[in-house]
This record gives sequence, structure tokens and C-alpha cells, in this order.
Amino acid sequence: MQDKYMKISDLNTYIKNIFDENPYLKKVYLRGEISNFKNHTRGHLYFTLKDDNSRISAVMFYSSAMTLKFSPEDGMNVLVEGRISCYPAQGTYQIYVDKMEPDGLGNLYIEFEKLKKKLSEEGLFNPEHKKPIPRIPKRIGIITAPTGAAIKDILSTIKRRFPICETILFSSLVQGENAAPDIVKQIKEADSGKYDLDILIVGRGGGSIEDLWAFNEEIVARAIFEARVPIISAVGHEIDFTIADFVSDMRAPTPTGAAEMAVPTISEINNMLNSYEIRLSEFTSNLLHKAKLRLEGITSSYILKNPLSLYEIKEQRLDNIIDTLNNFIAKKIDNNKLVLDKLRSSYVLKNPMSLFEVKKEKLEFNEKTLYSNIKNIILKNEHEYKMLINTLKLVNPLGILEKGYSLVTKDNELIKDSSNLKENDIINIRLHKGNVTASVREVNNG
Amino acid sequence: MEKSFEDALKELEVIVKELESGNVELDNAIDKYTEAMKLAKYCSEKLNTATEKVNKILTENKELVDFEVGE
Repeated sequence: MQDKYMKISDLNTYIKNIFDENPYLKKVYLRGEISNFKNHTRGHLYFTLKDDNSRISAVMFYSSAMTLKFSPEDGMNVLVEGRISCYPAQGTYQIYVDKMEPDGLGNLYIEFEKLKKKLSEEGLFNPEHKKPIPRIPKRIGIITAPTGAAIKDILSTIKRRFPICETILFSSLVQGENAAPDIVKQIKEADSGKYDLDILIVGRGGGSIEDLWAFNEEIVARAIFEARVPIISAVGHEIDFTIADFVSDMRAPTPTGAAEMAVPTISEINNMLNSYEIRLSEFTSNLLHKAKLRLEGITSSYILKNPLSLYEIKEQRLDNIIDTLNNFIAKKIDNNKLVLDKLRSSYVLKNPMSLFEVKKEKLEFNEKTLYSNIKNIILKNEHEYKMLINTLKLVNPLGILEKGYSLVTKDNELIKDSSNLKENDIINIRLHKGNVTASVREVNNG
Repeated sequence: MEKSFEDALKELEVIVKELESGNVELDNAIDKYTEAMKLAKYCSEKLNTATEKVNKILTENKELVDFEVGE
């Protein structure tokens, strides 16, 4: 017999199929405000989307939710993309959200990307600018709001891990229009050198992209970059990335994380100290043991046990040296003797006359040569003399007188011109044979 | 001036590494060992006797005063 009453589950499944098969409902785009937001422990998000007149249930499963770039919360306007289907167990239809982004924040994202690109190109994010974070800080500065989870988390974490570290809070606005200049002012104050800080933590708790916006401002980024104290940024949750995170020396996922990165735990250091002490002791005892073994090896050597042997060796060595020396001298004497014998047996020493004979022969030869040379010179001179006499005869003025010429002189001066004479001058005339003294009667100048 | 904890720890590390490199003569090694053990003791004492520090906050007037986190 047929029952006209259906099972509810059958109806709901039937309706679900109608939704699922409708092509218009496979992909819909909605704009709305989030309310009743619930983040389930397993990571799925449940909420209601509403506008002024209507509402619709929404679910975003973990696989999609993990790609979100912001933290959805009640009152936030969003743009979603998803499909409409029915949840048979409750007989409700809802939107299964695949993608969601904040509405009206498009401009902020564009600004974020633009600034990120600009600062990245300037090199502000480069690893070479990252300062190392000191391992054991004495004093840490914190720039955040004086109330709220962030400061609480940071201080309690430091107290738990490393209570001997000092902290100084530089309280600052962390959201709203005045937050960025306030953060910058406090960074500069903390970095002024007055506080002797080893590390500076700059951050705040989680929030919407608008809440975190101060940490995306250029002035904050530049203040972080210019600070000399190493800075750990701790803004929002694990998934929130801000410009401050890129430019800081280290990025912590959360404020608690920043405190963990900033300080060690006391037990960590105690362990380290213990391990050093153990290593030192082991090493040193090892070193001593080795030195002892070496010393034992040396003291048990033959020489040290038999010192006389040291002497014996020296004795033998001395003998060797003396032998060598003797041999050397004997050889030297023999050599000299040989040279002497050779000299003694030479021809010259045996026949000294031979030396004399050679000299005599040379002398005789020299005498002969000298004699013939002198004779030649004499002969040559005799000949030249005769030649000279003949020439002399030819040019002798007296020779001319022989031929009938006379010489006239006056006061012993030879007269060659009648103008040198005048009447009654006494002149002397020399003839070939004899002299005449005469007086001038008349002068006829030719 | 008293040696800072961090400096003492660094010195200790340097000595341990130096000794383990094996380039230290025996006399020198013993001296260094003594020095290192002193440093370790110093660090340990400093660490375990240090008192917990009170959190401070910088006021508008640039004064440091004690700071408690409100609930």
C-alpha cells in the first residue's frame, strides 16, 4: 500500500538536487555584510550575509578559508563568490563560499602592492640590511598599545622565559589615522640611544586590514628601516602580512612569537653552560691524558734509561773525528812531499850551467848586433858629412870672391845700394886675397 | 666595569672552540680551561641570581615608571 507521506530527508534531497542542477545557482556573486561570524575549531567559517532587507546563511570550508588574505569579522562588508545549495539535515539553503574579499578595500590592496613594490625596488627589504637579533638581550623596547592582548602576550612571554630581561613600553596608537605618525615618533624615541635597547618589538594584535593599516604606511616602513636597534615586527595574526613585516629585521607571526624570538629561556642557557662545562672538562682531561702518555713514552726511552750509552756514543764519535783529522793531515803532508820531489828532480836544478850558457849565447848575439849597428851608423854619418862639405863649398861667399867678386862694407855693414853711401865715406873692400880701405869719391845712384 | 653576561658567554664559546681546535699548547690549554670554567661559573651565577625585572613604561614627560598590564 502506498503511503502518500514522504520522508523529510527525501524531500530535502530532492530540493537539493534542484538547486544543484540549476545552472544559475552554480556560480553566484554576492555583496553583503557579515554577521553571526563563527570560526569553528576545525577551521570552517560559518556566518550570515545580509543587506538592508535580506539575509542568507553562508559557509566557507577550511580549504577555501585558508586562502583568505584578511580576517573576516562581524560588520565587515565583503564580496563573495560561491554556489547555492541545500543542507538537507536542516532544510536550509545556503551559499558555499569559494572566495571572499573585503568590499571597498580594493584601493587599500592596490596601495599596499604599490608601496611594497616601490620599497622592494629601493632595496629596503634586502637581506643585507637585516640586523642580527642579539641572543641574550638585557633590555627590550616594545612599541604597541598599553592595553589589549598584544602587550599582555609579549610581557607574559618574556616574564615566563627570561624574567631578568628589562622591558620598556613606548605606548602608541596602533590604529586610526594618527597611529602611523605616533608609531614613527615612538620608534625614533626608542632608537634615540637614551634607553640602551638591545631589541625593539613593534606590533599589535589582529584586526581587519583597515585596523592594521598603520603598519602599511610608508613613514612607518622608513622609520623601521632607519632604526639602529634591531626590530622585530609582530602585527596581527600569522596570516597578516604588512609592509612593516617586510622591512623589519625579523618578522614574528604574533606578538607572543615576537617575545619568543627576542628572549631565550633561562633553562636553554643553563643547558648551554652545562654542555660547555662538560665539553671543557672532557677535552682537558683528554689533553692531560695524551700529554701523560707522551711523557711516559719519552721517559722510558733507551737513552734516558741508559745515560752511559749517551757517553759511549760521544766517545766513539770523538775517535772517528780524530781518525779523520789524522788521515787528512797525513794526506796533506804526502801531497806536499810529492811536489817537493818533483821540483828537486827538475832539469834546471840538476844542470845549473845550462842556465848560464843560454845567457852567454844571448850576450854574444847582442854584442855582434851592436857592433854592426854602430858601424852602419858611422858609415852613414861619414857619407852625410862629405855631402854636406860639398854643399857648403858651393854656398861659401868666400868661394864667390875666388871668382873675382868683392864685398864692400862700411862700419862692418855690407853695402848693397849706392844710396847708402855719400862722398868721403870710408869703406872697406874685401877681395879674394887681402882687404882694401878706400874713400868714396862720387856717388851715382842707379 | 663588570663584564656583561653576553660578553662572558661569548668569551666562553670562543675558548671552547679554540681548545677543541687542538691548536693550543698544554700550559696554555690549562690556563684557558681555568679561565673558561671561571666564565661558566660567572655566567651561571649571574643568570640564576638575577632578579626579575619590573616592566617600565615611558610617560608623556619622558619618565620611566613601573607598568602593570591591566586585565
